[in-house]
Amino acid sequence: MNTDFLLETKDLRVEVSGIPILSGVDLTFSAGQVYAILGPNASGKSTLAKAIMGLPEYKISGGDILFNGKSILHKSITERARMGIAYAFQTPPRIPGVKLDDFICRVCPDYQCKDEDEMLMGDSCACKQILYDDFERLGIRNLANRELNDGFSGGESKRSELFQVLSMRPKIMFLDEPDSGLDYDSLKIVGRELKAIREKRDATLVIISHHRYVLEFLEVDKIYILQRGRLVYTGDMSDIPILEEKGYERFFAEIAG
Amino acid sequence: MPSGNTKKRARSAREKTAPYGDDINLEEYEYSTSHPSDLESLDNISKQDRTLVREVGFDPSQKRVSGSFMQFDNESILADVLIQQEGLEVMPTDLALKKYEWLHDYLWNAVQVDTDKYTARSELENYSGYFIRATAGSRIEMPVQSCLLMKKNQSVQNVHNIIIAEEGSELHIITGCATPANVEKSLHLGISEFYVKKKARLTFTMVHRWSEKIDVRPRSATIVEENGTFISSYAILSPLKSIQTFPKVRLVGPGAKTDLYSVVYGSKSSKYDVGGLLSLEAPKSNGKVISRSIATDECEIIARGDLIGLSGETRGRLECDGLLVSNTAVIRAVPMLAARAEGSELSHEATVGKVGAEQLSYLMSRGLNEDEATSLIIRGFVKLKVPDLPPALQKSIDDAIKMSMEGGM
Repeated sequence: MNTDFLLETKDLRVEVSGIPILSGVDLTFSAGQVYAILGPNASGKSTLAKAIMGLPEYKISGGDILFNGKSILHKSITERARMGIAYAFQTPPRIPGVKLDDFICRVCPDYQCKDEDEMLMGDSCACKQILYDDFERLGIRNLANRELNDGFSGGESKRSELFQVLSMRPKIMFLDEPDSGLDYDSLKIVGRELKAIREKRDATLVIISHHRYVLEFLEVDKIYILQRGRLVYTGDMSDIPILEEKGYERFFAEIAG
Repeated sequence: MPSGNTKKRARSAREKTAPYGDDINLEEYEYSTSHPSDLESLDNISKQDRTLVREVGFDPSQKRVSGSFMQFDNESILADVLIQQEGLEVMPTDLALKKYEWLHDYLWNAVQVDTDKYTARSELENYSGYFIRATAGSRIEMPVQSCLLMKKNQSVQNVHNIIIAEEGSELHIITGCATPANVEKSLHLGISEFYVKKKARLTFTMVHRWSEKIDVRPRSATIVEENGTFISSYAILSPLKSIQTFPKVRLVGPGAKTDLYSVVYGSKSSKYDVGGLLSLEAPKSNGKVISRSIATDECEIIARGDLIGLSGETRGRLECDGLLVSNTAVIRAVPMLAARAEGSELSHEATVGKVGAEQLSYLMSRGLNEDEATSLIIRGFVKLKVPDLPPALQKSIDDAIKMSMEGGM
């Protein structure tokens, strides 16, 4: 068994409501590297990430997913999350009655109340201040008291998801279009956060995106291109401008030719 | 004293069954034969009772309140208005009726004595309960807290409450009803009559925590006058034998407004039949009935809402959301709308479903296990969000719900 890879998919086949979406995908992800998964719409990029996270609608009909060389197919979402796999949702569901700040204090080790005695006036914990400072950095301080994903704009959702995923300190994180719906300033903020992770090299980043900006800014190590549920191309940063210029159709035609 | 006519009407309704809820044989219980005695101070209540009352939002230290009322069964009563609260009165109903002759006009005015056998019986037996009043123009910012405790077996706690917010006043009440877990078969009869005068504002928050052999039959009604506001929030989070309640709010003055919120967390084989009726009787009056139900175990929840538009230029809204977390429980939402005047706009929305798979997956992907995720979703769902409530009061409600959930789950 090859345990050089942090995570691999082997001939992975995934169905959604009986319709095959991935038809045998082999990918490898090494620790501390940055990957981009590219491909036209409906090529199976998001499905790949969701199947690796273990979401129940994404049924594995064949193949395997290995984490540190061991199959995780029988592991629940929770177990996968606790092993260090994280997924930033593209459109996270609304959770009524649960505030973003309370939620993060609950799930993220960095922000948990370490000492109940620190409670000030019985209202708020001192750790909230640290959390709010970090919210500020991502420009989402205004979301702290809002209910989780309730009426968040596209850009707010992206940043809130990124914040949560980062604070779980995963070993590998799948970011589903972390740059879509962001204005230029937010894009810079997100880019800066991701760059910081890249530089620390303590987590693997897998970015699903259509846009050149973030990928180039991060200097991705490897790109995988999917088409109709299969891996059709493996390359690097230098392919990105070519892709942008030619578009997927011509790019595919040329590699086929 | 109640007129002979009231007693006569009560006697005529002695056998009148209620349209909803299991019928209860009222002869199986003991009724109080004496008037309650005074409880000297909150310091005298036992540690156990302190814990119990805290679970329904009552703070024995009285830190953030303007007044307190506490009643044990029909035995002893404490009524206390904190100093410097001008314009606030809190006292046992029977005392108030002796003190104020005019109060008899308010007794059995909002609620009809011959509504059913429970109202009838309540009148015919000894009763106590609280009288709370904010005098005209008084703004009582800190809430009045009340707690009705029921500890005796095989008996009836019979209370008749009268609450008056006089013209231009503001009054907030938090009330809790509780029984220790070991109480055997008993019955709580509670009559509550609310009067919200011109431009007055009354918020009433009630948290119930009963035990499994208790039947509960509250009967309450509110009359809201011109530009008055009545906001009621009700939470029942414990199992019990059965509860049937269908409070009625009449908006009789132009611009009168009311919102009724309720949360039912059903468990064990309890039966909950909880509703709210709005009667829109004057132009520009408007209101909402919003209910949330969570059904677990083998419980049965019926969530009723009834809007009656009797005047034009009125608006009424009904929202009923149910969350089913058991295959042996049932939630039934029964919305009723009756418009009897042109220009009365009534609407409703009802949803009943299970915990969303997508929500679960999402929370699990953040490291919570399935039970933790489910419980977080439920806790979020039961949160009573009452707009325009003073933040301190909202916090008291949140805390009471939290305490009650932790005590009951």
